[in-house]
This record gives sequence, structure tokens and C-alpha cells, in this order.
Amino acid sequence: MTEIFSLYGQPDSQGPAGPSALGFGSGKPQVPQNMGPMCFPHQMVDEGGPIRKPAAMNEPFYLLRELPMENELTGHTNLITHYNLEHAYNKFCGKKVKEKLSNFLPELPGMIDSPGIQDNSSLRSVIEKPPVCNNSFSPLTGAMLTGFRLHTGPLPEQYRLMHIQPPKKKNKHKHKHHRPQDPLPPETPSDSDHKKKKKKKDDDPDRKKKKKDKKKKKNRHSPDHPGMTGAQPSSSSLR
Amino acid sequence: MAEKFDNLEEHLEKFVENIRQLGIIVSDFQPSSQTGLSQKLNFMITGLQDIEKCRQQLHDINVPLEVFEYIDQGRNPQLYTKECLESALAKNEQVKGKIDTLTKFKSLLISELGKIFPEEMTKYKAIHGDDPPS
Repeated sequence: MTEIFSLYGQPDSQGPAGPSALGFGSGKPQVPQNMGPMCFPHQMVDEGGPIRKPAAMNEPFYLLRELPMENELTGHTNLITHYNLEHAYNKFCGKKVKEKLSNFLPELPGMIDSPGIQDNSSLRSVIEKPPVCNNSFSPLTGAMLTGFRLHTGPLPEQYRLMHIQPPKKKNKHKHKHHRPQDPLPPETPSDSDHKKKKKKKDDDPDRKKKKKDKKKKKNRHSPDHPGMTGAQPSSSSLR
Repeated sequence: MAEKFDNLEEHLEKFVENIRQLGIIVSDFQPSSQTGLSQKLNFMITGLQDIEKCRQQLHDINVPLEVFEYIDQGRNPQLYTKECLESALAKNEQVKGKIDTLTKFKSLLISELGKIFPEEMTKYKAIHGDDPPS
């Protein structure tokens, strides 16, 4: 308060106080003496801003600014209500949003919850390095289709997991019923064979075990099997 | 607005289903399924053509890049929307608090200055006009 009194009404023959006297930093030249009692050092004045009224109108105020124009929309208003986003807010923030991508896209096949960097399928890589291609899509001709002649038989193991989906607890039964009813075109009767073979494939590890057990049993009971010691009386009699 | 999204969604679903069936054919390939494979490949190309036709209707749609980060991490993109809304609300509340505090400070300052410098404050109010009560 005493500082304000000293700046406000007392005539100062020695000139205005320098920046160091006011406690601010030094280094700038002092203000000229004809400015009057209320004058701040240069660094305290904000440069720019609205047009100031002539000093005579604003006495004893020399540095009085116009008040800024009032903006209708400020942070004082609830912007969510202003932009009619209550429904969206309740939808996303009122309920619990599930974390995984598969909850957003449940019908999408494959392992979509894993990061895209792992199998080089990230969207960022497509944006940063877009694939070089022609402007239009043209169907494949017969000559081009010869490049798509595949070897018969199942895929190598390293490529088999690509289309397997993670197990879904709720949709397990639906999943089992849904897949065989896929609308495959009737022109490819081999697809039904594929399904049968797929089912066969799922049983393969069990089948292999059963086959091995059967083989072992057969081998135990067959007379031609070599190297059986003590298992059959005929072999022991020969020895 | 929703129709063009529905159209694109339909084409994308058909395309994905076609790719899935292609994968089934390829997983255990037989010579008799060669024609089916060729058909699926051409369906794939026509699917891409249909998706490209949808692009013209959606040229004014902008997607924030941060959403792609969520998808690449295997996270639900609705979480991005949720976080945007929550941060907007938090910032709104923060700014509202600042405005309220500064308004109270202004009224307090004017009243206290009026007690200490009554003549100067009447001149100030004459220049600026009476401020509305906060």
C-alpha cells in the first residue's frame, strides 16, 4: 500500500523511480522525466492491446485500458450442454466402455486385440508408408490367375494361426452353430469337403493318439512283430 | 449422413467375409477348389472397387490420428471419444473455476479500493461505468 501511495499522488522532482527501486529487474533504460507521477517502468507495460483514451480524459489514470469485448461463449457455460452432447456424454461416460477392440468389432475375424506392430498390420505404417499402387482396380485375367495356383494340402503350421479367433465365452455355442451355416456358394462343392476335413483336422491330435494306441495293441498281438521278449510263449520256446 | 456410413459398413462386411472364406479355401487347398479361389479373388477386387466408390461420399469426414493409435494397440476407439469428453469437461470446470475466482476477486478489489480511494474509484466508475454485480 505504501508503494502505491508513493507512486500515486506525490510529486517527485528527482524523477520516477527506476526498476531496481521497485524491486523488478534491471537492465532497461529509465523512463523520461516528463511522464508524470504514475508511470511504470517499460517492462511492466503490456505492449499491444485496445486503443487507449487520451490521458486528459482519464486523469488521474494514465494507463487505463478499455475493457475487453465480452465473448458470449466462455468457459463459464457448460459446453457439453451448449453443443447438445449430453446424450453422447451419457453413452460414453455413463456406461462402462470395454477395453478391447474385439468388443467394438465382434464380427471381425482374426486376432484383432493384439498390437498391430507385432504382425506389421498397423494403420500407422499404412499412413506413413502408403503402398504403391495404380489408380484403379482391374479384375484379374486368366493369365494373371495362373499365379494363384496353389499346392494341395494343408497350410504349414506357421501360417495356420492367422484365421483362428480367440475363444469367446458368451458366443461359444453360437459360434459353433454359426460357422457351418456360412453362406458359401453352391458352385464350390469342395468347400463342404473342406468343412468335413476341417472337422477331421480338429480331431487330428486325438486321432493320432488313438491310432498310436491301436498300433501298439496290434503290434503286441501280432506274431510277426520282432523283439518281443517274454510277452509270448512261442518266442521263449525258440530261445 | 448415417446412410453413407451404412453403405460403407455393408461393403466392408462383405469384403471381410469374402477374405475369411478365401482363407478357409487356402488353409486346405484342393485342385477342385481352384475355380472358387479365382472367383473369390475377383470378388475381392470388386469389393475394393465398391469401397473406393464410397470414398467420394465421405471426403469431408476427418478422423483424428490419435484414434489410429488406439486401434493399433488393440483398444476400443470409443475410449478415445470417452477420454476427449472427460478432458473437455474437466477443462471446462477448471476454466469456470478461474472465471468465478477472478470475478469474486474483481468485486472484492473494487469494494476495498472504494474504501481506501473513494474519490478515485468514483472517477474510475464514471469512466468504465458501474460494473454489474458478480
